[in-house]
Amino acid sequence: MDIASGIQEPFDLIRLSLSERVFVKLRGDRELSGVLHAYDGHMNLILSDVEETIMIVDLPEGQTEGTGAVSMAKRKSEMLFVRGDGVILVAPGGR
Amino acid sequence: MSFFGFDDNNLENDRQRFLRGEQPNNQPIPEYTWGAEGYDGLGDALQEGGDDLNDETFGGSGPVGKDFDFSGTSGQPEYQSAENQHPAPHNELKYHDPLLGPPSQHQQQSAPKGIPPNSLESLWDDKSPFSALPRTSSRASPGYGSPIGYNRLESPSQGMNRNGMRNAGDLDGEIRILAQQNREREMAAQRQILLQQQQQQEEYLLRQQEQELRLREREQQQQNYLQEQERRRYLLQQEQMRQQELQQRDLRHDLMRQRERELLQQQQYQQQTRTPPPRMLASPSPRFLEHQRQMQIIQYQQERQQALRVQELQEQVRMENLERQMRAQQIGGHQRQLSNHTMAELQAAQAQLERRQRSQSPAARLPLGEGLHYVPQQPRTLADITQSDMLRDLGGTPAEQETLRMEAMRKIVEAEKLEEKRRRRAAKIAHMSRYNDLMTQSDKDFITRIQVSQLVTQDPYADDFYAQAYSQIMRSRMGLPGHDERVLKFGAGGGIGLGVAPKGNHRRQSAMQKMQQQVERIVNNARRREEEKGMHSLHSLQGALGKTSGRSYKAAPRQLLQVDPNASTSPSLAHATAHISKQDAADDAARPKEDAGAEAARLGREALGDAAHATDFVNRDPLTQKEALHTLEDIHDLVLRAEQLKQEEPPEEDEEQYVAWDIEYSAIVDKMWLTVKVMAPIATSDPHPFISLLMPMKGKRVLLRLARHFTNQQMLTMLTLLVACYSQLDVVRTSAILDTLEDTKERAEVERQLHTFLATVLQVIVSVVSNASLRLITGLLGLLLDKNDVPTLAQTEAGLSVITVLLARVEVIKQSLSTLTEEEMPTPDDASQWQMMYDHMFELLTPVFPLLFPSTRMLTRGYQLPPSNPVIDALDRPAWQFLATFALHAAPEQQPILVQSLREKVLENVISAKKGWVADEEERAAKLANVDLFLQALGLSSALIEP
Repeated sequence: MDIASGIQEPFDLIRLSLSERVFVKLRGDRELSGVLHAYDGHMNLILSDVEETIMIVDLPEGQTEGTGAVSMAKRKSEMLFVRGDGVILVAPGGR
Repeated sequence: MSFFGFDDNNLENDRQRFLRGEQPNNQPIPEYTWGAEGYDGLGDALQEGGDDLNDETFGGSGPVGKDFDFSGTSGQPEYQSAENQHPAPHNELKYHDPLLGPPSQHQQQSAPKGIPPNSLESLWDDKSPFSALPRTSSRASPGYGSPIGYNRLESPSQGMNRNGMRNAGDLDGEIRILAQQNREREMAAQRQILLQQQQQQEEYLLRQQEQELRLREREQQQQNYLQEQERRRYLLQQEQMRQQELQQRDLRHDLMRQRERELLQQQQYQQQTRTPPPRMLASPSPRFLEHQRQMQIIQYQQERQQALRVQELQEQVRMENLERQMRAQQIGGHQRQLSNHTMAELQAAQAQLERRQRSQSPAARLPLGEGLHYVPQQPRTLADITQSDMLRDLGGTPAEQETLRMEAMRKIVEAEKLEEKRRRRAAKIAHMSRYNDLMTQSDKDFITRIQVSQLVTQDPYADDFYAQAYSQIMRSRMGLPGHDERVLKFGAGGGIGLGVAPKGNHRRQSAMQKMQQQVERIVNNARRREEEKGMHSLHSLQGALGKTSGRSYKAAPRQLLQVDPNASTSPSLAHATAHISKQDAADDAARPKEDAGAEAARLGREALGDAAHATDFVNRDPLTQKEALHTLEDIHDLVLRAEQLKQEEPPEEDEEQYVAWDIEYSAIVDKMWLTVKVMAPIATSDPHPFISLLMPMKGKRVLLRLARHFTNQQMLTMLTLLVACYSQLDVVRTSAILDTLEDTKERAEVERQLHTFLATVLQVIVSVVSNASLRLITGLLGLLLDKNDVPTLAQTEAGLSVITVLLARVEVIKQSLSTLTEEEMPTPDDASQWQMMYDHMFELLTPVFPLLFPSTRMLTRGYQLPPSNPVIDALDRPAWQFLATFALHAAPEQQPILVQSLREKVLENVISAKKGWVADEEERAAKLANVDLFLQALGLSSALIEP
């Protein structure tokens, strides 16, 4: 079956993930995993059943970089609107 | 200057010397006061013949220009300005004042009279024209004590100033230097006398001013007095007394007024003369003359005023006497009047008086006795009137009256309220009506056209899709017919989506009509324009003189990528797709090589074992996730298109249109049918492509929408395929995860998928099965048992559910045997076939009856179940339901086997419920309900079981 015929632009690939779980990497050390409901040309996304993971590097005062402890904060949202300017990547399948 | 016979150089030298600080001949600098007190009479001594043309030569008495400044060294701006402000004094000598007669006369007159020097002096000292006012002269008076000292006190700059002046304008003064020096002493004495004179004069002026003030006061008094007089006279007239005397007085008054007028005129004259324009003050001699004259006038006035005052005083005394007389007479007169005149006359007079008083002010009315009658009555309110009237009319009992009164009051209040409301509304309308007719009808139409033209689209349904879908849902919820007009169509393509219709359709209808009219107009206009264009055939000439680029690159930047979605042959597209799907292509290329051996082996095996089907299909690898998703996107597009077409289905009466529509719709449905790959042979791949499509959530969901477009036959085919490949379904394959109690993401995902499956795919199966005959059910069950591992399948909720659906349908058929028609009636052959199939399934399931319960499976997996868990009861419920349906079909000899194998489970539930090993009543009820569901199918009850 000829898949390629239906794909003409990168967004067509995102379209395939509609109502599927996607993994979204965001600026500011954030990652999302949720079901994609809608997107637009700005990569604004609407996700449901989202789990957000925020990486926090605790760097005490005066310490050099790379020595701080990395901690993860997680939170869940029923429905989330993601502004497109923060999106780095969208991958199918929520990890 | 040459015409004076003097040497220029000499003069210049003198000036220079003076500037250097040398006193010429050690003599004090003379004062030049032409025409003033220091006038030496040299003007007469000068032999000035032929002065006639002087004015022309010197430019008359106008401001002196700079053109006389031949040496060019006297350009001091200070001096210039002073010179410009005040016409050169020497010109005054030649100035023929019309008031004063010939200048020679004036000069002779003015000298002996002692003209005060102050005006000229102050003019030189301080250039302000106001400095010449007599008022300020007293300030400068100390300097006049000794003219020599005064001159000596002068600063060099002032000296220079004077020097410059001498040079500039006052040449005849220069001529007289020597003569003046001789008369120095004489002048000083003269000045002293003049000063004294001036002081006296000033004093006199001040006194005069005071007098004038007093005079004015007196005049005021006089006027007041006159007014009083007049008032009195009026009264006198009214009382008709002393006519003669009054006449006399009138005469006297007239006289007085006349005198008064005269006085006023004089005063005005004085005021006018006392404040002449400041410029005039710069010329002392005429001004002084004027002053003298003024003084004479004032003196005369004063004399007159004094006389007048005496007269007035006399008059006043006389008046007072008169008044006294009058008062006395008034009293007497009144008495006389009372006796002489009738009372009516008096009353008339009184009334007149009152009238006058009333007309003065409304406040004056009230204190009057008569006015009391006019005290404004409190207007009786409507309520009061009605109330009292009613009471008067109906002489009922007090209670009745009271109720009636209340009723009336209520009505009245209501009426008043209504009235108030109406008034407010009217006011509002009136307020708004300011804007009436601001727009003409054509304006409104124009705006509507613009708005409408923005709403019209080629595809009103799709462009308004969500509103349309939402309105459909709303309609179905509100129980309205779903086939209302939701899209307004206009002619050939184009229309407006209407969205959700509100309940009150009344106004909307007319609005719709209006809009339709507007759109029609737009369309017609556009058409007409097209026609006109064609008529003029302008376009035939277009481009005859060459083409111009109609596009600006700013508006439309050059297109670098040309992606044509329709032309796959386009090289650019091929490139683009190749680029995007390179990975896929690589995968595709790699796969056959890897699997070549396996593929060949499978093909050979199939050829050997299943020769009949070998030619029918080519075995393939299952759809990848991406392929499945992509196919689903295609399906979604098709479904949307089909749904839209369904909406636009024309009535079947319209043969032509219907046929055209049917062709289009059928084509879409056929394409859909191909896309879902139901017709691919069962063994094409594992999982079957169709099953692959059901794996994603949206695949499961779209099946419901697909089912609406497929025929029954198509659906049966689909169902057959589904049943045959049931164990390939993700919900069956992954169901083992549900037998764990760990709350993982995977479990949650599987659970979600299962719920979606039960809500969508199973519903489709139910809908198809519910119309199936016993024979078909038997066939389906047979297929299920044949193609799937039923014991395993039965241990999944999805599997149990589909078997339950089939069994339930058979039960329904059995129950409704009496109502079935001959055609639907299952043949005995069908029945026996079914029984055979059931027996086969019973045999297969007997060993796993306990394992049908998730709780049991969990125990076998080593999970320590909590003693009471409502979740587990809920999980077990489908199993109990299945067993209940299963037991219905069980033959009498099969039932004990069933009970035997499930005995433990039943007892466990019943005992735990009855012994209270449950968290709450709810759980107990759930356990008993589950058990009873099964037991009742066997004709038993949990109540029979004694723990």
